[in-house]
Amino acid sequence: MENILNTDIRAVIDQCPEVGRILEEYGIGCAPCSVGSCLVSDVVGIHGLDPQTEATLMYKIEKVVYPDRDVPEPKVDLSKIVPKEINYSPAVKNLVDEHVLIKRLLALIPTITDFVEKSETVDKDLVMSCIDFIRGYADKFHHMKEEDILFKYVDEQSEIIKIMYEDHVTGRNHVKNVVEGAENGNKAQIKEHLHGYRDLLTQHIKKEDEILYPWIERQMSDQQIGELFQRCSAADASVGEELPKKYEKFIIELEEKFAKEN
Amino acid sequence: MSDCCPGSKTMDFSEKDEQGDDETGARQSQLKQWPIQLHLVSPQAPYFQEKDILLAADCVPFTLADFHKDHLKGKSLAIGCPKLDSDQEVYVDKIAALIDDSKINTLTVMIMQVPCCMGLSQIAKSGAEKATRKIPVKQVVVGVEGGKVLSEEWL
Repeated sequence: MENILNTDIRAVIDQCPEVGRILEEYGIGCAPCSVGSCLVSDVVGIHGLDPQTEATLMYKIEKVVYPDRDVPEPKVDLSKIVPKEINYSPAVKNLVDEHVLIKRLLALIPTITDFVEKSETVDKDLVMSCIDFIRGYADKFHHMKEEDILFKYVDEQSEIIKIMYEDHVTGRNHVKNVVEGAENGNKAQIKEHLHGYRDLLTQHIKKEDEILYPWIERQMSDQQIGELFQRCSAADASVGEELPKKYEKFIIELEEKFAKEN
Repeated sequence: MSDCCPGSKTMDFSEKDEQGDDETGARQSQLKQWPIQLHLVSPQAPYFQEKDILLAADCVPFTLADFHKDHLKGKSLAIGCPKLDSDQEVYVDKIAALIDDSKINTLTVMIMQVPCCMGLSQIAKSGAEKATRKIPVKQVVVGVEGGKVLSEEWL
């Protein structure tokens, strides 16, 4: 099927004129076109057919192009159709992607605190390596781009921005407490504040991805979007390519460690 | 049901109610340069330096009544037709040169809601991929009938 999608519509219709008739049935009139250089995927995609109609159309095309193939009837589970994704500009998309790595640490926190609780003594290196990720990646690398660059494009006195700043401060307090717990071997303190950080950041990231970032971008001109991209790229370049790679490797290793433990 | 390619299908919107014939006064053009055709412009032209660039399919400005005010204002322009123009590999090189040499800030590609127009987005994407510098590239799709923007998305 992939082959048909990436083929010029003229070539497909020449090979199989019935395809032209099927497209016509769906209001896509490519058969008389003398150029016909559009790809089948573009021809179908741009018409914005609903998923069921598009699947049925592609099913009919596949049936006539490959008559010997056992093509299954299209089944689209309408309940699983998700609304169109939010379209972020490239700089903000990078921030959203950074959230994904942070969320991978958040997902591990209950396992980490269980491990700490069950251990005879607190594995200080483990706790401090998580703190290093939070401080070096989530806070310095990621939150600083928000605070120093992105938030400057909107009124920093607006309620939503104030809440974001408060969340960053609350997060740093949790981190301070986790460090204190690790220094003193206080398992309860580590658990309380790692979980506090997890709950806070889970909500914080959701608010940013779904509300704050789209809200900020709606207020920005294209000129500002371009400037934001260059400023964030410069900030990334200033820390070097190795830093995000180092922290991604850390998360992968942490996931592997606890996958083995379980 | 259509009977030909949407890119060349005959349509008449003259019977539509909202003709806006009560407009008075002269509007100011937002075009700040010449030439504008992509084969004719030099990517190193001063009017492209560090600017936000609008790459519009030839048909777009005729479709949107407020093209100058809503889309051209504040931007430098290049136009082309991905269906009829020849030597389109030159277009890809020019987009790459705009990004690398003139250090443009953003590229917005405006196309019509016809499949053949997707070729202009592809040219923009290929040029952006060929360039060493990276910049945000946006696609705006305009409806054939009614002159409305149907979608805007960063690529």
